[in-house]
Amino acid sequence: MGAWGFVGLAYGIVWGVILIYWFCLKRRYKETETELARLKATEERPNDGKK
Amino acid sequence: MAQPVQPTKKRKGIFGALAFLAVATGLYWSLVVAPPDAYQGEVQRIMYLHLPSILTAYLSYFLVFIGSGMYLWKREKRDDILAHSAAEIGVLFTALTIIEGSIWGKPTWGVWWTWDARLTLTAILLLIYAGYLMLRSLMEDEDRAATAAAVLGIIGFLDIPLIHMSVYWWRTLHQPPSILRPDKLPWENVHPAMLTALAISFVGFLLLYFYLLSLRYRLGEMRAEIRALRLQREA
Repeated sequence: MGAWGFVGLAYGIVWGVILIYWFCLKRRYKETETELARLKATEERPNDGKK
Repeated sequence: MAQPVQPTKKRKGIFGALAFLAVATGLYWSLVVAPPDAYQGEVQRIMYLHLPSILTAYLSYFLVFIGSGMYLWKREKRDDILAHSAAEIGVLFTALTIIEGSIWGKPTWGVWWTWDARLTLTAILLLIYAGYLMLRSLMEDEDRAATAAAVLGIIGFLDIPLIHMSVYWWRTLHQPPSILRPDKLPWENVHPAMLTALAISFVGFLLLYFYLLSLRYRLGEMRAEIRALRLQREA
């Protein structure tokens, strides 16, 4: 592998891994946000579903 | 019904866009504008990733150190969330530093890895904070896990001065610093275009780091809120 091959490998791995981490973090963030909103909604309406 | 964009979300979006812009500018300077090194040639361009990555990791562990110390002192949940968030991103940047170093090592030293003092101490740093994250996920009692992790977070930080001084204290394959030298100013030792590329790249990493940290911190806050609501409901 030539010099640019090593450079490309390093830059590719670093920005690829950072991008994957960012996507995973965003997904975890959205899931937690949804769960919190759902919990808060049921907290505000504790008698929902009960007659 | 349409909802207005929340101010914090808007701020995070602007911060993220700024980070992206700085990273893109850093990439352009690192790969196009900066000249190749006189001795190492093009492969030296890995330095524009390697140095900002490890400095970002050090900053992250400094925040773990501060957050852990504050948590042990004041017992405030927000300090623990800060330490936990910073540790996670610190592990990411330390792992990337080791990978970049390994790719840089092969064409310059002829090996992917060697048990050099600096490399070994950096691997130990990664193991300490990976252990920190494992400890947090394995212990069921949240408060005990936070206390144990805070102690480990503080002890682990002591490895960083050792890493920095290792190239002076032991005979190592890793070169001594080119930028952070006690005897010379950075611009006396490095070509201005290289120094500019490094500075822009570092700013890009910093902005990206604080953007990721703000997301991860808010995630920790929301998880704490969920736990509190569940406990409240169970009581």
